[in-house]
Amino acid sequence: STNPYTRSQEEDWRRRNKTVLTYMAAAAVGMLGASYAAVPLYRLYCQTTGLGGSAVAGHASDQIENMVPVKDRIIKITFNADVHASLQWNFRPQQTEIYVVPGETALAFYKAKNPTDKPVIGISTYNVVPFEAGQYFNKIQCFCFEEQRLNPQEEVDMPVFFYIDPEFAEDPRMVNVDLITLSYTFFEAKEGHTLPVPGYNSNQQLSPASNL
Amino acid sequence: STAMNFGSKSFQPRPPDKGSFPLDHFGECKSFKEKFMKCLRDNNFENALCRNESKEYLECRMERQLMAQEPLEKLGFGDLIDGKSDKN
Repeated sequence: STNPYTRSQEEDWRRRNKTVLTYMAAAAVGMLGASYAAVPLYRLYCQTTGLGGSAVAGHASDQIENMVPVKDRIIKITFNADVHASLQWNFRPQQTEIYVVPGETALAFYKAKNPTDKPVIGISTYNVVPFEAGQYFNKIQCFCFEEQRLNPQEEVDMPVFFYIDPEFAEDPRMVNVDLITLSYTFFEAKEGHTLPVPGYNSNQQLSPASNL
Repeated sequence: STAMNFGSKSFQPRPPDKGSFPLDHFGECKSFKEKFMKCLRDNNFENALCRNESKEYLECRMERQLMAQEPLEKLGFGDLIDGKSDKN
């Protein structure tokens, strides 16, 4: 290949190959990056749409005042209680089930006992099954997300006050949902060790829950 | 947070609108809870039939500073208010 024409063409090819290679490398790095971003992006998506069991943020409490119960749509709510292995509490629901209709506020109770001889601080988080129903399950007030200190041998009632959004009755995806399970898990909160507990309306994740 | 746990399902529970109930350490409203639970048991755990009892329980908590004061309408008890109980 002594032909100067061919040589310059070869150089041109080499340059082009290099360009293609650079683009491909960039694409590979970009995809790798996108795969890391997928989880936070998916989470963001779920939070805004309520898919995947995440509850949608920002339901106005004025809604409660004006909502109309959907009397003919009876839903069974079952209750579940779990305690992380590190926490020595007895924790259980006081009723296994209740029947509610969308648009009606309801009360339920759990009970926690600290059977040890020293004060123990616990903190809880919850989950709703099926996940798709999570967006309709509205807590008004409960005992979750805040540290609860139980004195030695103390037993307390832990109320949960909630309602199912009346829109539940209109969602075609919910047509076959007649049973919703509310599940609470208590973790030990070590004293002097502050957990990054989410403030209200904050998107931060409760740290013990991240490994659920 | 551990964003890399692809295998496990990540769930972000939302804190309740009104926050957390303080613990009733002295059992001040226990009798109202018992009444509510009895009502549930007597009515096959139908919440609709025990709303008066749940209203009374929450009123007890509000009276004893175990819950933020809230008009009953905003707690979904608008239909259970008789004229006299309008304390606010």
